[in-house]
Amino acid sequence: MSRKIIKTISLGSFVLVIALSPAWPTQAQESGALYERMAPIDQYLMTDRNTEIAFARTAAPESISRDAEVWVFGRHGYEAAVKGKNGWVCIVERSWMAPFDDPEFLNPDQRVPLCLNPPAARTHLPLTFKTTELAMAGQSKTQMFDSIKAAFDKKELPMPEPGSMCYMMSKQQYFGRKYGNADPHLMFWVPKTDDVFWGAGLPGSPVYVHQYSPEPITEFIISVSKWSDGTPAPTD
Amino acid sequence: MMASNAVRRCTIFGWIFVWAMVLGSAQYACAKDDKAPYPSMAPLDQYLMDRDAEIAMARSAAPEAISRDAEILVLGQHGYETAVKGKNGFVCDVERSWMGPFEKNPEFWNPKVRGAGCYNPQAARSVLPIAYLRTKLALAGLSPAEIAEGIKAAYAKKELPPVEPGAMSFMMSKQTYLTDRGITSDGAHNMAHVMFFTALMDTANWGANLDNSPILLNPQFNGSPEPVEVYMVCTGAWSDGTPAPVS
Repeated sequence: MSRKIIKTISLGSFVLVIALSPAWPTQAQESGALYERMAPIDQYLMTDRNTEIAFARTAAPESISRDAEVWVFGRHGYEAAVKGKNGWVCIVERSWMAPFDDPEFLNPDQRVPLCLNPPAARTHLPLTFKTTELAMAGQSKTQMFDSIKAAFDKKELPMPEPGSMCYMMSKQQYFGRKYGNADPHLMFWVPKTDDVFWGAGLPGSPVYVHQYSPEPITEFIISVSKWSDGTPAPTD
Repeated sequence: MMASNAVRRCTIFGWIFVWAMVLGSAQYACAKDDKAPYPSMAPLDQYLMDRDAEIAMARSAAPEAISRDAEILVLGQHGYETAVKGKNGFVCDVERSWMGPFEKNPEFWNPKVRGAGCYNPQAARSVLPIAYLRTKLALAGLSPAEIAEGIKAAYAKKELPPVEPGAMSFMMSKQTYLTDRGITSDGAHNMAHVMFFTALMDTANWGANLDNSPILLNPQFNGSPEPVEVYMVCTGAWSDGTPAPVS
């Protein structure tokens, strides 16, 4: 099987280089997964609710996140911690939002804050909640993959609304052992489409892509120059 | 990673670009109408380019990997015409000054403006028709107000399509000239960026123009009259891979 290697810096992927293939179990085996099983739930929790609220807000500039709704992750899943006023939702996602073929899929150290705009809050957040629910129920990756696929097939999970996007500009974001803090970026979600429609992944293109699987969603990514606090990002 | 000094500079001065388009007109207004730099359309020849040069410039809007297989449009005596057929659904052109805002835009007829863009397929189908119609009306000798009325009527009659989800374009040409005003610290008249087109919405939905936001709202259309929002994100590099100006 030919593999198309692309560069990406996505929430979903948590990786900079992925091989696009629906055969994720094979890849997981090849990569010698370090995080084969879910760790004790405590390891995915943050020590303090207020810390998680503040952390979630760092995903976007304060001008956006100060009025956003904030969700925190608790022992029974995500719960609303702060009511918002501007339609945005900030949340710290855990490792199971990575692709199913990511060897760090269950890495309890991953902490990825996002601030979702109103269209994305309506259409991406349900995927986050559903995936989290499945992970916490102890489903295997295969079971989760099938459950998510079935949920989209039955239209229990929504497709991205036009204009769905999010900010991922937290200096403290942590994508795992391999990619650390990565860089600040914006992500745009659209119903599954061809990479080339945004010129993504082509030489010289500023746009990167992550094709979800099994979700019928394409994620386009553009790096930006500053963290949410206005300080410059690394320039390598 | 894309982050670079160039991006930072672009972000900072992108503001200047946006506000130059909106507020910079006040400068001209204060200077008095009789001193308006471009009060009417210049002779058509001033807006035209050598055909091969225009093809090359249009292609420079996007990295070669995208633009080499794109359809290329050039401006002729009677409007845009296809100069090169494409294979990948992208369409590249060089837009003229009448693609700017209709109101409070003293450069609406600036014959020096050359905005190279490569539209993705969604934008080629749903945004590029605006360029065709504006150009047709401009070349017919209509005033900005009359062109705006023509655009409004075309939308009312559904002769212009609604913007498609996922519509975007590349504007990464080093040769682009957007405005007489310097919009970077070194006085350049250009910046490397990508643009996203959406239906009209609350611009707070993308956090545009807020403090430290990397997203800028371009007032190019903005419901006056086109029902299209244009958002810009700086890329920090020109289409040839070189860094965008940093000083």
